[in-house]
Amino acid sequence: MCGIAGILLKNEGSGIDTGPALIDMLDGCQHRGPDSTGFALYEGGEEGQLKLRFHVGSDNEAGDAIAALKTVFDEHGARVIEEERIAGSYRVVVRFSGDLQKFSYAVEHAAKVVSIGESLEIVKDVGGAHEVDDTYDVHLFRGSHGLGHVRLATESDVKPEASHPFWATGFADVAIVHNGQITNYWKMRRRLERRGFAFATDNDSELIAVYLADKMNQGIALKDSLASSIDDMDGTFSFLVSTRDEIGYAKDRLAAKPMIMFENDDLIAIASEEVSLNRLFPGRALDTREPPPGSYRTWSRSI
Amino acid sequence: MVTIDLKGLSTREANEGIREAAARGEAIEVLNPDARHHIGVGVVHAVDIHVRGSAGYFCAGLTDTPRFHVERNAGWGLADNMYRGSVVVGGNAGAIAGVAIRGAEVVIRGNMGSRAGQVMKKGTLLCCGNANFMAGYMMYGGRMIILGESGERLGEDMTGGEIFLGGDLVSLGSDAMETDTAEDEIDDVRAFLDRYDIPFRGSFRKIVNAGKKLRYGTPERQVRSIPYFHFSGDSDYWNHKVQEDVYIKSQIGRYRVRGYGGARELPHLADLAFARDIDPGAVGDDPVSRVAMHTLIGGKNGARPLDLTMPVLIAPMSYGALSRSAKQAVAIASGMAGIAENTGEGGMSDAQRDAAGQLIFQMLGGRLGWNIHDMNRADGLEIYISQGAKPGFGGQLMAKKVTKELAEIRGIPAGIDLRSPSRHPDILGADDLVIKVEELREATGYRLPVSVKLGAGRIHDDIKIAVKDGFDFVELDGMQGSTGAGGAEVMEYVGIPTISAICEAERALESIGRRQDIEIVLMGGLRDGVDAVKALCLGADAVALGTAAIIAGGCIACMQCHVGQCVTGIATQDPEHEKRYKPEIEAQHIYTFLESVRWQIAAITRGLGYDDVQGPCRDDLVALTPEAAEITGLPLCPERRNAGHPEIDAAMERALR
Repeated sequence: MCGIAGILLKNEGSGIDTGPALIDMLDGCQHRGPDSTGFALYEGGEEGQLKLRFHVGSDNEAGDAIAALKTVFDEHGARVIEEERIAGSYRVVVRFSGDLQKFSYAVEHAAKVVSIGESLEIVKDVGGAHEVDDTYDVHLFRGSHGLGHVRLATESDVKPEASHPFWATGFADVAIVHNGQITNYWKMRRRLERRGFAFATDNDSELIAVYLADKMNQGIALKDSLASSIDDMDGTFSFLVSTRDEIGYAKDRLAAKPMIMFENDDLIAIASEEVSLNRLFPGRALDTREPPPGSYRTWSRSI
Repeated sequence: MVTIDLKGLSTREANEGIREAAARGEAIEVLNPDARHHIGVGVVHAVDIHVRGSAGYFCAGLTDTPRFHVERNAGWGLADNMYRGSVVVGGNAGAIAGVAIRGAEVVIRGNMGSRAGQVMKKGTLLCCGNANFMAGYMMYGGRMIILGESGERLGEDMTGGEIFLGGDLVSLGSDAMETDTAEDEIDDVRAFLDRYDIPFRGSFRKIVNAGKKLRYGTPERQVRSIPYFHFSGDSDYWNHKVQEDVYIKSQIGRYRVRGYGGARELPHLADLAFARDIDPGAVGDDPVSRVAMHTLIGGKNGARPLDLTMPVLIAPMSYGALSRSAKQAVAIASGMAGIAENTGEGGMSDAQRDAAGQLIFQMLGGRLGWNIHDMNRADGLEIYISQGAKPGFGGQLMAKKVTKELAEIRGIPAGIDLRSPSRHPDILGADDLVIKVEELREATGYRLPVSVKLGAGRIHDDIKIAVKDGFDFVELDGMQGSTGAGGAEVMEYVGIPTISAICEAERALESIGRRQDIEIVLMGGLRDGVDAVKALCLGADAVALGTAAIIAGGCIACMQCHVGQCVTGIATQDPEHEKRYKPEIEAQHIYTFLESVRWQIAAITRGLGYDDVQGPCRDDLVALTPEAAEITGLPLCPERRNAGHPEIDAAMERALR
């Protein structure tokens, strides 16, 4: 139960920056989810370098987790370039060129992974958009695109690791934010597990991310992966997905979850409610569109 | 013209300003709306309101007679429940535009989102662009005009009303059909378009209800009723009840509908006992005067709380299931006892409003009888999500009870087997619910407590949502709760027992540290003051009595409430039957019963050593059965099974003599 937002900037100099824009959009729909807030941000990225973020907790717990992580790094030939602890999280940049899926499953056993990618960094924690920004300095993020999410916990606990966005466990740079409920979750999950994929949570949003990442890994375009997701998944959903180079959306056929978008020469912005879009353009009536039921679309970055 | 600039104003402040200006009869312009929710809700004066920009959810919702002009777009739930007046939207409208309108004219110059006109009853909803998925879903009446494409499943499960389509028909919904148009109808549609300066010269096709799903195919044959005491007896496996059930199903080929609640043995408050003997010395002759019983419910978030002389309310029961006279009797009794009455589904009558001291007004998915004027004269507002007797299902009112008068209040066609929607058009999740709660608060100036009625199922999750969505209190209903009509199997097997409900709710709220942020009124088969004190011990802040009050007022528990020919005049809409019911006399009986409840609560509270009804706690209870111990976590003490309370009985006898 939540609110979602996404933005892709088409050119520089529009006066809008990804980090502050997402903070504003999520603050605008915080009523949809006061428990936790999260961001998936794409900035820079170098070949052969991975940015990793973990939840490690505090004090001794954190020390143990980081020590365990370093052992895994050594075993998999990942060399630490920079590292930083922010609140209960641990951010590290490593040089790595091995099998990413094996590596990510191994680090998952040492600590709770938030995100892995050359460009992607996910920041998420309990509290509102501004609280999370105060801790993690989200407003400093630039980059071409990003997603955001506010969450009201219904079935699972209010914990940082249960908040969104979700990273596609095992695949670099794929993130998702989702509003709704996938009702054939276990069926789909078992299908993917039989093919060797592991899941870090029981959250249906992680499933969507892994489902899409798997398709793309098979060489299927993001757009076509979204098309098949609407056929394969049951339930009510509106979700946004991002990769290093694209963002996209899909909406269920029952149209039970809201989504609205605005596009001009500078950007494409999508959110649960128009009030979030209007935060980017205060005092202006926007020419927005509501995507029809059962529809999907992608946009590629140009900067 | 009064200018209200939303920049720098909270929506609440803006709406107060709008309502004040409207009351003075002044036109209003709203600047910098920036798609904010709830703009102009609750206005009941015929003034022009110009929204200079886009509006968010529920713009113009819960209003009567204003004329809104929204320059650009509107969010979900445009003109929700609007009675008279109009809204013109220059751009697009989101999903469920025109939901539950009761006479308003809604004009959307652009496209409209899914499920437009859901449960609308009267008025016109015009979309100049394209409609979307399931336009006219479950509409009961009124007129929809779509100049563009219809979208998929047009008129899905519509019961009444007409849809005029100028563009392409993508597909028809279930139980909708195309029919011939009459010239005067089309003239009328064109006159409407002219009135709003909309040029359209194309032709129209007309969609109406096909009438295949309005009545159950085969009405249930009436049979001699089985008295409840026999019905629920400790019987053999293939007892008379089972046989009758099989016979009837062999004729009608579907589940049965009946009144009352489940008749199975379930863990209940009777499986709990007080941990120690009641001290007769402490009870005394007049315990009521020695125990603090005054209870406030619903003030957690600044609303004016219900002010109760004891922690007891009347459970929600509808005018519809019950006759007007029966509702009146309950209302009178509640007023005499100084407690709160509840409208249930189907609207508020003047007689009920006048008789009840304090009245909670309930809103259900069909929005039957729901309107801003009755909201304004209520003492509390309640969003019904589900009820204990049939969690997850809507109300059922069989055709016999859907009289012309009743249909008029509810805004539906007379003489249908009314199956109320089981879900709300604009509440599809906790996220939408929070916006709905806010709409009710905005429309009534934050004066009234807003509660939620929850039939216990996954209460562990649901109660957390209730507190997070900002409800003031929850009316929590276990599966021993009764109903005027429900599917028999559902009543017997769906839901969780009342004691499980309260214990799960308490644990869930404790687990997130929010117990103090919401109050719980427990109901579901509570019979007397003894049950009430046990419920309070388990953590409830108050209790509600439904069936017990009805029985006090003459119900003979024949379980034929659904048929509509109640011999006592309680569960009927037939004037001949209703004549038998004397509201003033029965009100006295119900009141006397409520006073016995008051006396018992006070006596037990005193007897347990407290002088405040909020004193008794879990330490004062034990469980008599392993099941009840498992559910409640109370110590199992079967040896207390025969520990009666003769002192209480004797004192009660003295008091009533």
